[in-house]
Amino acid sequence: MSTQPTTQEAPLAAQTAAIGNGGLDSSQWRVFLALVLDTVQEARARWLFWGLFGLSTLLILFFLFVLKIDLVAGAVAIAGMPVEASRKIFNMEKFVRNSYMFIAVFLYVWGTFLAIFASAGLMPAVLEPGRIGLLLSKPVTRPMLLVGRYAGNLLVVTLNHAYLVTAIYIIIGLKTDIWHATFLYAIPVTVFLFAVLLTVVVFIGVVSESAALSLMVTVALVFISMLLASRKIVVNLLSSEWSRDLWQALYWMLPKAWDLGGAMRSLILGEPANWLDPVWTSALFGVFVFGAALYMFQKKDY
Amino acid sequence: MNTGLAIETEGLGKTYRTRWGGREITAVAGLSLQVPAGVKYGLLGANGAGKTTFVKMLLAAVRPTSGRALLFGREANEPESRRPVGYLPENHRFPTYFTGAGMLDFYGALSGMTAADRARRIPELLELLGLANWGDVRIKKYSKGMLQRLGLAQALMHRPQMLILDEPTDGVDPAGRRHIRDVLNLLTGTGVTVFLNSHLLSEVELFCDHVAILTQGRLALEGKMANLLAGRGYLLVARQVSDAVRKEVMALASGVRPLEDGVEFQIGSSEEVNRAIDRLRAGGALIQSVIPTTSSLEDVFIATTGLGRKAAEGEAHA
Repeated sequence: MSTQPTTQEAPLAAQTAAIGNGGLDSSQWRVFLALVLDTVQEARARWLFWGLFGLSTLLILFFLFVLKIDLVAGAVAIAGMPVEASRKIFNMEKFVRNSYMFIAVFLYVWGTFLAIFASAGLMPAVLEPGRIGLLLSKPVTRPMLLVGRYAGNLLVVTLNHAYLVTAIYIIIGLKTDIWHATFLYAIPVTVFLFAVLLTVVVFIGVVSESAALSLMVTVALVFISMLLASRKIVVNLLSSEWSRDLWQALYWMLPKAWDLGGAMRSLILGEPANWLDPVWTSALFGVFVFGAALYMFQKKDY
Repeated sequence: MNTGLAIETEGLGKTYRTRWGGREITAVAGLSLQVPAGVKYGLLGANGAGKTTFVKMLLAAVRPTSGRALLFGREANEPESRRPVGYLPENHRFPTYFTGAGMLDFYGALSGMTAADRARRIPELLELLGLANWGDVRIKKYSKGMLQRLGLAQALMHRPQMLILDEPTDGVDPAGRRHIRDVLNLLTGTGVTVFLNSHLLSEVELFCDHVAILTQGRLALEGKMANLLAGRGYLLVARQVSDAVRKEVMALASGVRPLEDGVEFQIGSSEEVNRAIDRLRAGGALIQSVIPTTSSLEDVFIATTGLGRKAAEGEAHA
């Protein structure tokens, strides 16, 4: 044997002195980075991840094909008419902006659901017996393990959605020569909604260690939040005061997928958007659920 | 504060409740144990005796319901207490997307090692564990024995002061076992404490110098291996033993076996050996040898846990 293991080269005291001064020291950042990259690596090793990127690529190619035949050819033909005549028939600027908006809303729904499907298994996977025990044996806090996993998962989805939206933005821009950067709001809005929903995936994953249940609950939550968003209509249909109050309470408590989508639509169209309420209430929900996940994770035996 | 003890527990206990707050099941019942730094310590027990729960409490994977545990003088629930500890779990499930080197790099990073230190350490350990040509191969292609060795390399990455190994030779062939044992002996020569949790009594007997036996979550026996194995009695061999003397000495012996040219008596204590020798000499017999006999660890284990008696009772009922 060419080498011999030695006892700790760096004295323990020196290693530990850096810890506990508040904030994260370089060692803790290294741990955090390792956990994030491990999640990305695991996502890459799963077919779901490649499915996510593959479907995004297919979608990009599809948009490229559709634009080439219909939107661009038609729009350019109309735009090629005498200016006065074309203005009467068609407002090119408005047409493209609306196209951006419809595509963004589609990508918002598409991106959110695919991200949930791709992520549901990542949390239970790390909690498998024989794997979590080894992770917990390292000098790493449990919150750090959970936050690192969450951040890695979010990074994967952010990269995918940024790739998808940016590619489509470039395609539309090149074909129409109209560049509405507001289209790029589709990235932060979708990622924000996913970040909130991912807390539910994490919470259910920690409590049940079941990918299927995480998926079911999170998808159900999206549909419920969309249903709750129609409160102005539904509240009038409800007969009792308590049921109206309950509907309103649930609306404010749960994440607002519909309202966030509406805010994104307005931002892309350049209209005044009511984005503050859906953002802060959804963020509050996410913080609360993630806090609950951390609490449960701290208490569990593995 | 470092007390010279690698592990110290005081009344450490774990009681599980069945779902919906029903029945209570005690896995570990108020266990107090002291493991000096630098020793090779074996923890034994039948299935369900509480060994793995005990180890998991040391590593904060399981929260104790009573008592406390210290690692090198620090509370075991502090993450920093685990920095000087390397752990190889039983039934580990290493992520199969890793290569051998990639896995060591990941767990080294979790232990706070710098990238440069990890890059130096990985080839050293792959070489040490006989995996030098396998570092770039995904671990799903590894055999069980190779995974165990890689798991040991993982535990050694950050140069720990103590190794906690749960069934480290499980599924490993005899040559692999010897290799692992050699590596562990090499480590203990540098002052590393090894805490071995195993049901392979022969492995523990070969390797450990201290041993503890758990039964039903309680500490049934603890001590130095040499002391536990010694003291079963003596074998007294004599020649020219007349029938009358033989009958008298048999009253002192727990067993007797005729030999070609004499008789072998199994005698429990040194006092009885002396009385037997006096009687034999008075009767004209020649004492050929007196040999202290030792128990095997299996004898000690069976006697301590009562498993032999339970098995016999089971057969009787059958």
